Amino acid sequence: MLAYNLRIAARSLRRNPVLTAVIIGGIALGICISTTFTTIRHMFTRDPLPGKSARIVYVRLDNWDKDQAYPKSAGGGNAYDVPPQITYKDASALVRSTIPVHQFLSYISGLVVFPDRSVSRPYTDRIRFTQSDFFLMFDVPFRYGHPWDRRADAAGEQVAVIDDATNQKLFGGGNSVGKTVRIKDRSFTVVGVLAPWRPFIRVYDLINNWSAAPEGIYLPFAVGTRMEARPSGETDVPRWAPPFGQDFAAALRSELDYVQLWAELRSPADRAAYQRFIDDYVRQQKALGRFPRPVNDPVLSLRELLTDMNVMRPSVTAMAVISILFLVICSLNLTGLVLGKFLARVPEVSVRRALGASRADVFLQHILECELVGIAGGAIGMILSSGIVRFIGKLITDTTVISLDLEMIASAVFLSLVAGFVAGLYPAWRICNTQPAVQLKI
Amino acid sequence: MEFGPIARALIRNKVRFGLIVLQIAITLAVVVNAINMILAQRALMLRPSGFDDANLLWVNTRPFADAFGERGYRIAADEADLRELRSIPGVQAVTNTYFLPWQGGGSSGSVKVAGGDGNPHQVQQYSASPGLLQTLGVKVVEGRDFRDTDIDDSPDSKTATVMISRATERLLFGNGSAVGRQLLDGTAVDSIVGVFDPFYNPYPFPIDEYVIVYAGHSSYGGADFLVRTQPGAMHSVAAQIPKALVGINDGRNVEVKTIEAVKDGYFTEARIIIGGMTAVIVLLLLVTGLGIVGVTSFAVTERTRHIGTRRALGATRPAIVRYFLVENWMTTTFAAILGVVLAYALNYLLVTTTEAVKLDWRLVAAGVVLLWVQSVLATLAPAFRAASVPPVIATRAV
Repeated sequence: MLAYNLRIAARSLRRNPVLTAVIIGGIALGICISTTFTTIRHMFTRDPLPGKSARIVYVRLDNWDKDQAYPKSAGGGNAYDVPPQITYKDASALVRSTIPVHQFLSYISGLVVFPDRSVSRPYTDRIRFTQSDFFLMFDVPFRYGHPWDRRADAAGEQVAVIDDATNQKLFGGGNSVGKTVRIKDRSFTVVGVLAPWRPFIRVYDLINNWSAAPEGIYLPFAVGTRMEARPSGETDVPRWAPPFGQDFAAALRSELDYVQLWAELRSPADRAAYQRFIDDYVRQQKALGRFPRPVNDPVLSLRELLTDMNVMRPSVTAMAVISILFLVICSLNLTGLVLGKFLARVPEVSVRRALGASRADVFLQHILECELVGIAGGAIGMILSSGIVRFIGKLITDTTVISLDLEMIASAVFLSLVAGFVAGLYPAWRICNTQPAVQLKI
Repeated sequence: MEFGPIARALIRNKVRFGLIVLQIAITLAVVVNAINMILAQRALMLRPSGFDDANLLWVNTRPFADAFGERGYRIAADEADLRELRSIPGVQAVTNTYFLPWQGGGSSGSVKVAGGDGNPHQVQQYSASPGLLQTLGVKVVEGRDFRDTDIDDSPDSKTATVMISRATERLLFGNGSAVGRQLLDGTAVDSIVGVFDPFYNPYPFPIDEYVIVYAGHSSYGGADFLVRTQPGAMHSVAAQIPKALVGINDGRNVEVKTIEAVKDGYFTEARIIIGGMTAVIVLLLLVTGLGIVGVTSFAVTERTRHIGTRRALGATRPAIVRYFLVENWMTTTFAAILGVVLAYALNYLLVTTTEAVKLDWRLVAAGVVLLWVQSVLATLAPAFRAASVPPVIATRAV
């Protein structure tokens, strides 16, 4: 019976191709616009590290001035009034905690890379100094080799992990594990080459332009300190801190905030213990005359930090709301057109009813017709939307990293079915309730 | 006019009436709020920096030669670069500074007025060589510009010579003059020699107009320059710069960008909002317009016999057209009232949950007029079709 009704519905659609095209076009527009803007919003709100984001936490300490809090950002970000990064000495002390299962320190520095002279001129690159757990915690994909291990971190070994583009540039691609590259005044052995990798949000560093691509070269944190690689990203110094001029060793002992500390806890339940550990550390340091402000050291999970850093602009939500209203209007529009179409068919339906079709049959046939339209429009809308989304993604991040994921495709299919059903509900109900006797009389 | 019969006819067709009313009302709410978002973004984009953005270039040198590790060498290279850049035909002014307009940030810190109330103030901070003001195209409004003798590059220096923007002067000194006064920035005592105006550089903190400029070189880890070119000469100058600078010292790489390109990058989000919302508005008016045409056509078809009867009883063609237009006008007016309520409701939602700005009543009024016009235009074709129904239809059986 379903197949029969489907056949009738399809035939009815074919009978008036212009009207059908207009109706399908309307639904396609609605689905296209709403899917595009909800997908962009979804890129910001979806879980960046499924299963882990509640356990991955970021540490900030308020070492700012007694008479002035660290400023809030323009959009109301940084609700806690804390500097976004911490000092070298605090980072080195806190990373010794045994509460997290994984943890790492990191910062970026602009250094000169010396490729083989036959390959290219020396060039300056943004290099991330980090520790082995970084690769594990943030699911960094490797094509060749592997991350360095904790022993290399402790010993400050001169090892490097490079990304796919750097591998192409320095070594012409291929498995380059074991090759060496000179960076500043030292030589590093490549232990790992990354697979092409471009997260939409560079979640492991929200402070230095979250929309930028990941760095090309990763070196052990301890080596950065030893080779006096200065931070080239954001740095902050409270006014009360003693000046340190250009002396790198003095900067490490000072209140210069430039290190990022990420930790992965065994379970979210460990957060209270970890927070206590950080609080205790700050109190201990206060006794030594540091941290002039009240204890303020929020440990936030990755998702909480995304919110506090204001990564998703509020206008993204505003556009998503407006785009859903657009779909509502398209659906209302469809109701009007379908109603007209169905009522013009009353005599024909009356004959069907008189010949024995039940109300349910008539209703089902007409709802199916609307659902067919909804699905066809939805499919076209989704195809259009995936193109637009790629284009907008390119504007935001310079690469085509946004696409419709399964969740968004499912939501588009669902929305088109709902739009078809809602739009068809009243017209179908209206037509299945016509009295055949009245219509058949002349 | 036949208002009474039309109103009664509308009430008898509640669903059709309701569909159109809802559709127009929501369209009005969405269109008005979308235009509001566009206007807010445009206001940000149109706000002038006060600089000669269209003729500014940013030049960045990244050294790799070991010699740049020494401060004296860096400063000498910096001076040589300034001379070389000035000698390029078409260049009007050059400064060595790490201030880069429209990048959406910069560097900042807090300062106190020496001998003042002790309150710290957050301001943008940059260093620049003499020539900054000519390069940006801003004017000294009090005191004087930097001189070469103001430059103090010693890292351990306890004093500095600075200029501030007019807005900073107001922030720190109220209506008093800043020239000759001193500031404490934590490491040094800064003597203010001049005040300039205007200055606007959007910053992540609300300190867009507040700036202190220190007289000095910035060459550590590579020097940055701002270059102002004569109108029309920008692209030829931009093309010559890398070769010229590498020509006098090939121990570095050179990159050149126009400030317009930097500004474009900063306003990416604004352009997405404007583009996206414009598309939504245009498509929405199209869809709603088609919807009105569709529903009115249906109404005409349904009433073919009634129209024929009216024509047979003496109604003229204009009377029939007028009937549909008045009917449509009543529907749209009703929808507009509902739409205005919805527009404010949606705006309230957006203002409380996002950064949207409040609606201007004139915008709402313009939206109402827009939809009225659209609705009349969409009704015209079906109404004329109705008018062409011959009276003889009335006498025929269906």
